[in-house]
Amino acid sequence: MQIFEYNGSALVAMVGKNCFAIASDRRLGVQLQTIATDFQRISKIHDRLFLGLSGLATDAQTLYQRLVFRHKLYQLREERDMKPETFASLVSAILYEKRFGPYFCQPVIAGLGDEDKPFICTMDSIGAKELAKDFVVAGTASESLYGACESMFKENMEPEELFETVSQALLASVDRDCLSGWGGHVYVVTPTEVKERILKGRMD
Amino acid sequence: MTKQQANWSPYDNNGGSCVAIAGADYCVIAADTRMSTGYNILTREYSKICKLADKCVMASSGFQADVRALQKQLAARHLIYQHQHNKQMSCPAMAQLLSNTLYYKRFFPYYSFNVLGGLDNEGKGCVLTYDAVGSYEKVGYSSQGSGSTLIMPFLDNQLKSPSPLLLPAQDAVTPLVEAEAIDLVKTVFASASERDIYTGDKLELVIINAAGIRREYMELRKD
Repeated sequence: MQIFEYNGSALVAMVGKNCFAIASDRRLGVQLQTIATDFQRISKIHDRLFLGLSGLATDAQTLYQRLVFRHKLYQLREERDMKPETFASLVSAILYEKRFGPYFCQPVIAGLGDEDKPFICTMDSIGAKELAKDFVVAGTASESLYGACESMFKENMEPEELFETVSQALLASVDRDCLSGWGGHVYVVTPTEVKERILKGRMD
Repeated sequence: MTKQQANWSPYDNNGGSCVAIAGADYCVIAADTRMSTGYNILTREYSKICKLADKCVMASSGFQADVRALQKQLAARHLIYQHQHNKQMSCPAMAQLLSNTLYYKRFFPYYSFNVLGGLDNEGKGCVLTYDAVGSYEKVGYSSQGSGSTLIMPFLDNQLKSPSPLLLPAQDAVTPLVEAEAIDLVKTVFASASERDIYTGDKLELVIINAAGIRREYMELRKD
């Protein structure tokens, strides 16, 4: 029994022209049984920063609660929102605190930094950051996502085209993974608005 | 005192990826030419593709020693068939032979993940995909090997082969022209080479159509 494959998940974040997209599947399972088909894996930290957590769902929830707490404290002290790069470092530090008894999660962080420059990163369960210029993936469907994103990604995509690309890559990848699926949740974030869309794919 | 476990395995994984796409009157079979063991590269120029019969070609990834043994077996059986029937084996016939040969070693399998491609008796492209013990299925396209998890979702997206569960039964043959299929294969291997460490060096393509068999090569990433 693999702990990272207990609940099943698929997460992807992609960079576009002055925008980014972050998407996840919607299945929550307990090994082979599906428990929920509307599970939220992506959470908003603030208007320009989103966090997706794949892996063990209980650890994802706990981690999310701790990070929201830390961000609220930061907002009180600094009277401003955290920059995505800073938040990524915070997540990395919190994960490494548990180096010898880790949270079984792989986070995907996506946000708009200074001058509306999109920022994406992922890390392993003990906080090793991977900054990418194009896309990052996480979850049980990660290998499929790597293949699909690598083939479909183009630089400087506009928000609408980025949405199409991320959606196609996500749906194609989760269809080859039995532990993720039941539709998709896609957020496309530009400096002016956040568009949240639900995808209907193979419901199995 | 715990029971002693064997620390020697008869198998090894030499990595690599194979893809095959069937068309209305052609079949494209492709594989990379890298052979590795663990984190090392043994050679950059190893062909994983073998011509079994006139219109039937097999690409195999996995343990290349077992693949070689399997190819030898099939070649021998094909020769016997030719002596007895005075003709080449057709692709569907070879498909069944491969399945039986693999299952024969059900309890000490050939560590070989095969994709068979060719033209069937009517000249239409056919691709069959196998597991290590001979379970097989006729499909419109398939991939096997270390890069297959990266390649398959993209092929699904581009080729949308209908499910065998659909009624009325739909053809498992792809509505792409030969040039488009070749382009797709090249794209897919370029992407797989980026993210899979066992795929790369060179791509070998074999294209079978009514005119015969031809080979093409394309350079891939060498890292």
